Amino acid sequence: MKYPLLVAVILGMGSAVLARETAVEIVPPAEGSVSVEDGLDAWSRVYEVTGHPRCANCHTGPSDRPMWSGPTYGETRPHGMNIQAGESRMGIENLQCSTCHTTKDEDWDNANDIPHAAPRVAMGWQLAPVEADWFGRSTEEICAQLRDPDRNGGRTAIDLAEHLNHDLILHWAWSPGGGREPAPYSLQEHINDILAWGVAGMPCPQD
Amino acid sequence: MSRVGTIARRTFLIGSATIAGGVAFGAYMVNRPIPNPLLDDLAEGEAAITPYVKIDANGITLITPRAEMGQGAVALQANLIAEELDIDPASATLTPGMPGLAYYNAATLEEGAAPGYDDSTSTQITRYMFGKVAKLIGLQITGGSSTTPDSFTKLRTAGAVARETLKEAAAQRTGVDRSQLATKDGHVILPNGEEIAYTALAAESALIAPVEDVTLRDPSTWRLLGKPNMKRLDMVAKSTGTEIYGIDCKVDGMVFASVCANPAIGGDIISFDATTAKTMPGVQEIVPVTGGVGVIASNTWYAIQAANAVECVWGPGSYPENSEKMWNVLETAIDNEDYFNDRQRDEGDVAVALETDDIIEAEYRVPYLAHAPMEPMNAIVLVTDTKCEIWSGVQAPIWTRDKAVALTGLAPENVHVYVQQMGGSFGHRAEIKHVEQAVEIAMAVKGTPVKLTWSREEDMTHEFPRPPAIARARGKVSNGQVDTFDLSVSQAAVIPSWLERNSGIAMPGPDPSIAHGSWDQPFTIPNYRVTAYRAPDMVPVSTWRSVGASGNGFMHDTFMDELIHAAGADPLVERVRLCFDGTSRKVMEEVGKISGWDGPSLGENRGRGIAFCMSFGVPVAQVVEVTNTPNGIKIDKAFIVADVGTVLDPKNAEAQLFGGMIYGLGHAINSELTYENYAAQQDNYHANEGLRLFQTPEFEVKILENGHHIRGLGEPGVPPAAPALGNAIFAATGQRIREMPFHKHINFV
Amino acid sequence: MEISVNGEKREIDVALDMPLLWVLRDELGIMGPKYGCGIAQCGACTVHIDGMAVRSCQLAVSDLAGGEVTTIEGLGTPDALHAVQEAWIEEQVAQCGYCQSGQIMQAASLLDADPAPSDEKIDAVMSGNLCRCGTYPRIRAAVKSAATKLQET
Repeated sequence: MKYPLLVAVILGMGSAVLARETAVEIVPPAEGSVSVEDGLDAWSRVYEVTGHPRCANCHTGPSDRPMWSGPTYGETRPHGMNIQAGESRMGIENLQCSTCHTTKDEDWDNANDIPHAAPRVAMGWQLAPVEADWFGRSTEEICAQLRDPDRNGGRTAIDLAEHLNHDLILHWAWSPGGGREPAPYSLQEHINDILAWGVAGMPCPQD
Repeated sequence: MSRVGTIARRTFLIGSATIAGGVAFGAYMVNRPIPNPLLDDLAEGEAAITPYVKIDANGITLITPRAEMGQGAVALQANLIAEELDIDPASATLTPGMPGLAYYNAATLEEGAAPGYDDSTSTQITRYMFGKVAKLIGLQITGGSSTTPDSFTKLRTAGAVARETLKEAAAQRTGVDRSQLATKDGHVILPNGEEIAYTALAAESALIAPVEDVTLRDPSTWRLLGKPNMKRLDMVAKSTGTEIYGIDCKVDGMVFASVCANPAIGGDIISFDATTAKTMPGVQEIVPVTGGVGVIASNTWYAIQAANAVECVWGPGSYPENSEKMWNVLETAIDNEDYFNDRQRDEGDVAVALETDDIIEAEYRVPYLAHAPMEPMNAIVLVTDTKCEIWSGVQAPIWTRDKAVALTGLAPENVHVYVQQMGGSFGHRAEIKHVEQAVEIAMAVKGTPVKLTWSREEDMTHEFPRPPAIARARGKVSNGQVDTFDLSVSQAAVIPSWLERNSGIAMPGPDPSIAHGSWDQPFTIPNYRVTAYRAPDMVPVSTWRSVGASGNGFMHDTFMDELIHAAGADPLVERVRLCFDGTSRKVMEEVGKISGWDGPSLGENRGRGIAFCMSFGVPVAQVVEVTNTPNGIKIDKAFIVADVGTVLDPKNAEAQLFGGMIYGLGHAINSELTYENYAAQQDNYHANEGLRLFQTPEFEVKILENGHHIRGLGEPGVPPAAPALGNAIFAATGQRIREMPFHKHINFV
Repeated sequence: MEISVNGEKREIDVALDMPLLWVLRDELGIMGPKYGCGIAQCGACTVHIDGMAVRSCQLAVSDLAGGEVTTIEGLGTPDALHAVQEAWIEEQVAQCGYCQSGQIMQAASLLDADPAPSDEKIDAVMSGNLCRCGTYPRIRAAVKSAATKLQET
């Protein structure tokens, strides 16, 4: 085990959050340039991401319970300690997610290097909204949810890409640290797939 | 007086000695004088005596040599003395004292000698002989649920001798005969109502012969012991964050350290590179230790971070490299005469009885288990050219001292061990590897106290765990009754591994703990056999709360339940019918009564199980009720009945029983240590959860007092928990679970 | 860096990523919060930050952001017990006691937000705090009796 040193340059990292966000580019393909077939290909990669435990574990819908998975947990199982996200999705009163998943002031490196510690980012930890119910859902179900403005926060594909760019928990999914398995592809590739899927008209396998 | 009392009186007397400004009362040995830890403080020519009570003008100090791990030992010891001494135990200063041979614990080994129900003359003699061995090897140790039986007579006698001697001093001062004097609340009371404080009589008491001919008070007159309002003395400190555990100790000028040691337990370090570690914040020094590397830093966090950054090349382990190979070793040993350990139960003719087609067979497995107390291992050590001082929460202070003597080359009288409060142990702190490491680091910076703290990961991956075991069972039922019960257990030896590593003493002969909890159960079955096979040593192992009974209790009682089910009998009724020990029968009947037992079924998707195990002389029966919910098993309610002979501290006894059962349930459900490349794979509580509050059932506890011996309760609550749960799951689901942890086979909510 | 603990301003000079727990224990000598796991699995290090329960092993001291830290020493003392501590003593909860600072801080924070918690709420909020001795039945009882005490005052 090796925990790289956190050097004292952290203080100078006030711009780190901005730097990270701008590291991702949101450049949708030209309108009409993506066929439905290519859009479905893009969607299948999006589903690999949304169905991956790194993402789905916190998209548990009405069950209110985040999930745990990884080599030491056997099959995917409910988050230990009887953790419930409550209506706020941020934890029930005074056992908020942030009791353990503390909020970093800055998005400094290596904050999540200790295996099995509670991951933390520079925003309040929380579950995804109930509507974004992905855990154990099929590609058709997730696809239908993500293109349904009533259930996706009224977002276009570009809005979804912007959301991915701004939500730091989502950034964490691609750099989870501590030996955790990251979400498939990269954040940029995932955003590109979302954008291509959008330009293709948000096709779903069931169409 | 009970037989325990007889034994105790033959091995110690209570004397007194002068200390600066006062008097010390305590035990000295009859048969052979044993060196005395207080001698340093005594003037030349004065009696060699190990104190339990010290009184001077400033106050009363009670010495409670059995260590506090959470089981309430200190309060119990103080109350035993205070009951006879007539003081408020909360008004006294309490200290564990210094390690001394005279504090040896006879009861630990006495219990190893024979089953708890066996009161025959030969057993009495065997118990006595084991007690002698305890003295010879200096076993000042806390464990084996032995504090209560060991202290019960010894400490009350110490209190009584002190009281009568103080009265005699008052008699000589006032001219009033001792028989006319009374005592109350730390004072001698004269017939005219005048009071003289013990503290005012201390100096005079030291000058007269101690009054040794005392009669202990009848339990019916006790004002502290056995009373429902008897309180532990550590509750305020433990509820306000002011209790000082080993990990909280401070010594002026100390530096902080942590280590990384070979995850192959006992393995060498071939080389290491501390280049990165040396540059990390706060790091002061890198110190090689046996099998690892220590880092000294300006605080514990820096030390742990840097220890993790040391790159090490480890030597191989001396045991099979992974769990699969370890199971293979156990499978090779079972039912293999080359590995025969003992067969302490062999009644009827099992071989003949099993020459039939309708044999019921089962195989059970229990895994390696970490003790994992909440407080990680730690020690503060100061080494100079002339002395070594150690502050640490250890269960065996004499062995701790001896390890430091061997490492430093100092004389034993120049090595001092100050036993600290422990944040749990469960057997973990009967090990002293961390102190050895701390001594090695402190020797590199002589004159500077070093506080070593293991990270949780270091602690869990350097466990000396409970060993795994396999049992194979064969049995037969006839006419609705259990007829034949044959159990073979294969396990590596625990006691020899632990004893030799920590004390250097090689234990000859078979290891009695392999089938402890199986062979010694109070049942009569027409054909009944229990055979222990001693598998070769693998991962070095240690005593874990309830030791052999922790696994055997599960394997023996679960097979009993399987046979009873096959016989079509009621699990409670048939166990009671098979039991020959009246005390144990009453325990089972009582748990039936308080649980409203009328069979294992509780309706659709619900069920209950009963289990029984006698360990450390205490018969314990438990009933568990479960519901099979859509998401898994929920434990609804638990009932416990035990018999300890005499209950000294009812509130704490109840806590020990439900705490033990919770410990047993948690490990049954979700805990194990597995090994890959010689290293334990579970390194923190995420992978070794135990029970959490939301999984904890409601409890009903009842303690009986029919037994002839007084017993301790730190451990006996553990063994019946797993089989009671497994039997309940069978009742609710029809699924029989034969392997711990259960969550490999069924989900829990 | 200056942080505020139990109403007192304290000056510290440590690495910015050092967890608050170790700052309290090794730099400031405040020993009530305990080290049990270092990864938010046991809750023995629980303190309040601006009244909210937080695992101090998980908070880099530089992320305190001016928050007021309260440890068990600041909740109540042997001479002036908090109602939760009174309840803990009356129910004789502790065995080894090592986890109890964290249990009490978590319970105090729960009762601050919900003066009459349901059994389910107690089970939900208190299950992040591990006790290896198995004191849970009395923790449940003590949380309830503390709730009653707080309502009476």
